[in-house]
Amino acid sequence: MAMRSQVYEWDCEGATASALVGTKTSIFIGGAGNNITKPAETSATQFIVIEDVGVTPSEYLSDGSITSYRGLKLASGNEVAGPRAYLQVTINTTDYFLDPDGIGSDGVPGTAAPYPKTTFFQGNFNLYPDVYVLPGQTFDVGVTLYNSSALSSTVDKGELQAFVKYTLYDGPDALIANKLLEMGVSVNPGNVDWYKRSLLAGQ
Amino acid sequence: MAMRSQVYEWSIIAGNSARGRASGAAGTLTLAADTDLSIFIGGKGNNITKPAETTATQFIVIEDVACSPQLEGAVQVRINTTDYFQNPDVTDQAGVPGLASPYPRGAPLPGAAGVGNATDVSTSVLPSFTLYPSIYVLPGQTFDVLYRSGVGLAATDAVACFVKYTLYDGPDALIANKLLEMGITVNPNNVDWYKRSLLEGGMA
Repeated sequence: MAMRSQVYEWDCEGATASALVGTKTSIFIGGAGNNITKPAETSATQFIVIEDVGVTPSEYLSDGSITSYRGLKLASGNEVAGPRAYLQVTINTTDYFLDPDGIGSDGVPGTAAPYPKTTFFQGNFNLYPDVYVLPGQTFDVGVTLYNSSALSSTVDKGELQAFVKYTLYDGPDALIANKLLEMGVSVNPGNVDWYKRSLLAGQ
Repeated sequence: MAMRSQVYEWSIIAGNSARGRASGAAGTLTLAADTDLSIFIGGKGNNITKPAETTATQFIVIEDVACSPQLEGAVQVRINTTDYFQNPDVTDQAGVPGLASPYPRGAPLPGAAGVGNATDVSTSVLPSFTLYPSIYVLPGQTFDVLYRSGVGLAATDAVACFVKYTLYDGPDALIANKLLEMGITVNPNNVDWYKRSLLEGGMA
């Protein structure tokens, strides 16, 4: 089990919606919804490749007369259904997603990287190239939202969710992942296996 | 992190529910029909602080553009002063229609006169367009993405645009330039391939 496909799902159930507006909330240790016990990090013998991220989508409409749209709430008169949520990946202290002027942005909009994906929200974004978390680094995934009126005052289950899919390379496979990185080869299970075969064939 | 997948979302929202950085002032959210509006520095909706440009050590590949399909929305890419999408007679056009490249994928099909019908949950617009080959922004160039509505935007409308691009920085930007000279498509796989070639050449 030296290469393992891993997932993390966050549900903001129970949080106070108004307290989340305009603030990046860590899905790991942000104190809202389900959390883990300590910041996400890699040990000296681990290598993580984040391959997909998603967050609850929103839709921009031209009809302020409705209060519900495909499972997303609208406040009366509001033109946006859903929480207008964005997801940012942070490695140590560096935000991954930047605006074109080089300043950190809120991240990928849920509208582009929806979770869950449905027929009506299929996603415009795929995380390629992947995000690498090298041995000894900490990483975080933060969600920022701007439309709390699309949420219940105390967030209900399923109203605001996020998802991360990553592969954890451990032990010898983490060493190989580092080697591939040095060689400029993408780190994925196929290339790790290819490197192992190359070593064996060289013997 | 010398190759990074990046996104930019622009939205113009009735009531000006502010989003983070620079947001358009309330009362300025309308847009006349057939008028181009920069999604970076147009002064309406969320904006950035300066025109989008690459430095001497950056190379950008724009891989997807999309916009809300309602209100006859379309999105155009401009490199320096040249519009990327043109009519067959090389005259100006609005760009890729939101109906061809919808944001989000699965948005409702607009009703009559291009007006979004938010209650029509039975329809779903899927992309007819893929930005392939991708658009290259070479080191030192400026670029812009322009939104245009065929019927204009009223103060009660909400639309959005989306751009997905890959930023190559430092040595990877040099390799991207080299690939371009060689006539090879610039993408992460080919940049990796070129690095491997260099390493193999160095080891031989």
